[in-house]
Amino acid sequence: MNVLEIHNLTKKFGDFIAVDNITLNVREGEIFGFLGANGAGKSTTINMICSLLRSTKGEISLLGRTIATNVKFAKMNTGIVPQDISIYENMTAYENVSFFAGLYGLRGTLLKERTEEALEFVGLADKHKSFPKNFSGGMKRRLNIACAIAHRPKLIIMDEPTVGIDPQSRNYILNSVKKLNQMGCTIIYTSHYMEEVEEICTQIAIIDHGKIIAEGTKEQLKAIITDTKDIWIGIKAADTLPIDQLKQIQGVMTVRHEENTIKINSKGEVNNLNLIIQQLIKDDVEIRSVEEQAPNLETVFLTLTGRNLRD
Amino acid sequence: MDIWIIGNKAGLLCYIIAVSCFMAPTVDSWYLLTSLIYLCLNIAVPILKQSTPNRLLVVASATFTIACAYQLDPLFLLLLPVSLYELAWLLGGNKNWFALAFVLPVPLIPSPLVAIYLLVAFLSLLLHVGGHAATEKLARVYRVQEKMREDIQKLTRSLNENNEYMRQSEYTIKLEERNRLSQQIHDDIGHSMSGALIQMEASRRLLATDQMKASELLHNAISISKEGLERIRLTLKDQKPKSEELGINRLRLMVDELSAKQAVTATLAHEGDIDIITPIQWKIIQQNMIEAITNSLKHGNASGIHIEVHVLNKFIKAVVTDNGIGSGKVVKGLGITGMEERAASAGGTVIVDGTKGFRVTTLLPF
Repeated sequence: MNVLEIHNLTKKFGDFIAVDNITLNVREGEIFGFLGANGAGKSTTINMICSLLRSTKGEISLLGRTIATNVKFAKMNTGIVPQDISIYENMTAYENVSFFAGLYGLRGTLLKERTEEALEFVGLADKHKSFPKNFSGGMKRRLNIACAIAHRPKLIIMDEPTVGIDPQSRNYILNSVKKLNQMGCTIIYTSHYMEEVEEICTQIAIIDHGKIIAEGTKEQLKAIITDTKDIWIGIKAADTLPIDQLKQIQGVMTVRHEENTIKINSKGEVNNLNLIIQQLIKDDVEIRSVEEQAPNLETVFLTLTGRNLRD
Repeated sequence: MDIWIIGNKAGLLCYIIAVSCFMAPTVDSWYLLTSLIYLCLNIAVPILKQSTPNRLLVVASATFTIACAYQLDPLFLLLLPVSLYELAWLLGGNKNWFALAFVLPVPLIPSPLVAIYLLVAFLSLLLHVGGHAATEKLARVYRVQEKMREDIQKLTRSLNENNEYMRQSEYTIKLEERNRLSQQIHDDIGHSMSGALIQMEASRRLLATDQMKASELLHNAISISKEGLERIRLTLKDQKPKSEELGINRLRLMVDELSAKQAVTATLAHEGDIDIITPIQWKIIQQNMIEAITNSLKHGNASGIHIEVHVLNKFIKAVVTDNGIGSGKVVKGLGITGMEERAASAGGTVIVDGTKGFRVTTLLPF
């Protein structure tokens, strides 16, 4: 079932086309990643999904209902963690979460329960009486996530939630995204950090200049570029190289030898590193280093658009 | 608009005549003359189309009314604002001119007339400004309409051309293919088949007398037929036109032409297995590249253009980059839309990036 359906969505600011005829579906239970450089149109798309911006053209439906005519329904079922932290510094952590959950119509004991639950979830239960102005960037982010999930939305949108925070908080956030997903939430995650998207997203759309250039799982996206991988093995001396035997190994396509490195090009889906190393050991070749050069999303992006993600 | 101004003047003139008749029922011939002169002057205004004599006429009419007002009847001053507004309009229709025209004559007015003058001047002002705005709007709408009509014409023309081209190339391809096939069948298979037939004929005759010879001939016929069959297979399957060579060679030609005719250095590179690019894809790539190059030459201010065809695992990437000024804000015109439509017809996309010179990427899946 599709949680979110976007059909021919376009947003123009004057002459400038920020989002250009995007069509995509987010299925239930997915962590859907938007990958794109700054200014690619990720946040504009998200703002339209949250009804913060009106689209120039096109339609967005959430759980089968058009959001333009079901604004309240759409807002009740969406939780948003915006790019810029939006919490009140002069309210305690508890008050913040309870305030935002209250905006979604939670009252009384339910409000209390859900607030505590959300704070517990982001690991801030013991800090519920503290004021966010004393929090680190990561803690503020986590509090912001708590504000977004307290009303138990079906769809959670996270717009660059790991910008400018320390590595621990980042890991914590990534883990909580996975946990939320296991609990049945569908998540849209935008980032220009390729590693994060690669780690957590089950479906990824690459966006550039307001268009979706490619969409699929990370394996599918990598397969756009190539279905082979390069294995570089550094060796001590190249006297007794079993090049012919190496070529016999399943999946190996070419074997080249440059000074003290063997460069093997092999089919991507075959895991034959063990066999290759066994063969080398059998022939008394001393291995110094092993490097696998598989394409990553960064190379996919670079190859398709000619630009770096962080340009 | 002219008709409204004439109406305005006529109304005022009638009012002045009516009031003066009411005051002094005897007909004054001077009065008649001035009214007629005023009429002549102001009818001439909309008749003359050039701007300078027009303005002079309006100025003359204004001066005439002032003169009449002092010599004959101060009521004539009521006609002054209309002429002044008309002048303001002829001078470009700036709001300040209108305001000036409204205020300027006030000191000239004798005190008993001020009230009626202000009323007349105000109502005429409304008429002129409103009329002016409406005319402007009409002109603007007309311009937009013209532009749209032009666009539609352009698009229709390109559509027609494309349709014609498609029809033509379809026909040509069919014809070429038919020719090639019939030629091939005639050359290869026709000969071998008739050879085999002769041998079989001979073997039938020899069947009774010389069985050894007959079987040998039959054997020959069989192998010739086999060979013929093989040739049929080759003809139908293997001898596809070498479109891929045509494609990249055409690009090469394009690049050479570009370097020769324009003040840019153009380079071409390709990577991957370009054999898998179909003729239709080549056509899209080529047309998009021409469009992108035209753009680079027109807006990019570039001295170098690099074009590249890269066959990836699942996509064909065709890129045109230049080293020019690019553009921070890429505005989508007919050119980009055309490229996008062409790419979309093969399920692909076009990315136009202007941050470091222009880079136009066409991505086609396969």
